[in-house]
Amino acid sequence: MTDIHPNLGELTYVRTWDAPRELVFACMTTAEHLTHFWGPTGVSTPIGNITIDLRPGGVFETIMVNDADGTEFASRGVYVEIDPPEKLVWTEQDVEGGMTTSITFKDLGDGRCETTTHQTNVPEMFRSPDVQAGMQSSFEKMAAYMATI
Amino acid sequence: MQTTDPLSTTFAALADPTRRAILSRLADGEATVNELSSPFDVSLQAISRHLKVLERAGLITRRRDAQFRPCRFEAEPLDHAVEWIDRHRQVWGERFDQLEAHLVELQRRAPRPDGRAPGAAADPSLDPSVDPSVDPPTDRTTHKEQPS
Repeated sequence: MTDIHPNLGELTYVRTWDAPRELVFACMTTAEHLTHFWGPTGVSTPIGNITIDLRPGGVFETIMVNDADGTEFASRGVYVEIDPPEKLVWTEQDVEGGMTTSITFKDLGDGRCETTTHQTNVPEMFRSPDVQAGMQSSFEKMAAYMATI
Repeated sequence: MQTTDPLSTTFAALADPTRRAILSRLADGEATVNELSSPFDVSLQAISRHLKVLERAGLITRRRDAQFRPCRFEAEPLDHAVEWIDRHRQVWGERFDQLEAHLVELQRRAPRPDGRAPGAAADPSLDPSVDPSVDPPTDRTTHKEQPS
């Protein structure tokens, strides 16, 4: 399950995994794992497109490739905090204001774990000039999100 | 770093339930400050402060030409906010769905020997919980294949 909480330009995603947190942490920090899931549907991240230097100040770069037309999406991050298997923080300076993503890994004690993914600094680059339509539907969608808080 | 980008302003404006209720009312049509304040047990001044926040965020505009300066709901900042949330929810949702499938596959190939929920990686080198310098417990089984 994934929960979204919009709050002052921040997003939080909470998810429970039927796997130990050491393994989930390894999945989030190892190119061999990331290549299996990093790109969303219709987007691949070849293992050669993943650069991981797992230390504070080290690079975390991915170049996702759209399966349909080959369009590439580069994400250039820098690790800020690495505390295996509990916490992982990186920033993307290219994103205005420096978007920061932090993931905390909580051991649920029964072989499962829970991750809380928190993103701060909602960037202007995600604004789209052609979004005008659907005033009421947008409001209803926003209200639906708010109702889940 | 303090951010003042439009989306942050939009989210901050939406963080208050009274302001969301005001927007909900304005989504049905223009209204004056007096009309907006009537459903709420707060002062006109408080409503005016909320309206200023909404106006700064671009979520409402107020006509200058009319005597009571009615407020009008503006959808554009909300569209940007909803679009941003949608995109991120979709990316992280799909990403995590795929990670879930990946974890299932990893653990299917290497069931945990204690018979509880599976929890070890197929390749020990990918599983930091496995310390090769420590001898496994004697009752640890090592089968890796599923019965066919």
